[in-house]
Amino acid sequence: MIEADKVRATLADLANRPLERVTDDLAMTDLVADSFALVEIVIELQEELGVRLLRDHLSGVKTVGQFIGVVQEQSRGG
Amino acid sequence: MNDSDRWILSFYRHSEISGALFFGRLARSFRPGPIQRDMTHHFADESQHARYWTQALEDMGGKPERVRQAYQDQYLDACGLPTNVMEVLAITRVFEARVIGQYQMHSRVPDLHPVIKGTIDRIMEDEKWHIEWVGKALKDMEKDYGADVVQSTVQRYKEADEDVYQKTIQEHADRLRDILRSRDVMP
Repeated sequence: MIEADKVRATLADLANRPLERVTDDLAMTDLVADSFALVEIVIELQEELGVRLLRDHLSGVKTVGQFIGVVQEQSRGG
Repeated sequence: MNDSDRWILSFYRHSEISGALFFGRLARSFRPGPIQRDMTHHFADESQHARYWTQALEDMGGKPERVRQAYQDQYLDACGLPTNVMEVLAITRVFEARVIGQYQMHSRVPDLHPVIKGTIDRIMEDEKWHIEWVGKALKDMEKDYGADVVQSTVQRYKEADEDVYQKTIQEHADRLRDILRSRDVMP
């Protein structure tokens, strides 16, 4: 399973944000300026970490913490 | 050139620009490999197509008019932005099929202006490859995502596209009748 810190660091890097600002309660939509930029990050993170996320996995995900949880879950093959 | 021709060429131009920008941004997100390579080629083609339409408008004595929303943006609105590479390719597959159908129909208009015909013929050479590479890439993804998931995703986008298409021809029926010289606007 991918470590939460690894997911967080990857998110921070892709969003060009200081790591300490990418907190669990940060809204995913606040990571970047526009919704398409968020699409780019979500896709790039999958490419970089070798995880596949489906639309259903992301349904209801609002925060960074929730997103990290989903990525970890899917990296476990669940 | 008449207003209807100016409108449709502007519409085509705007959609090609939107496609180029969409694929161009996403090409930055893909890891190195065949999909990154082919998506990069694809967005380069789309930007050239926008250039061809811009030139066609100029050659026919017109200027591009402002288009509020590209065709494909409407089904992103309907289905949501893509969440993974497979969805990006599914959108592309559906959209490219629509583009090819539209250009083929337009190219059959009697006495079509040679500039429009020449531009469509030029673009269609690229479109054949676009459909081919995306179809193959989606097929390859079935082993990772499951054939059911890939096929249902493509179906979802096809349904959105059909809705958008019907709304578009309703909204622009008069212009399309004028352009396609037919009382039956679309098949």
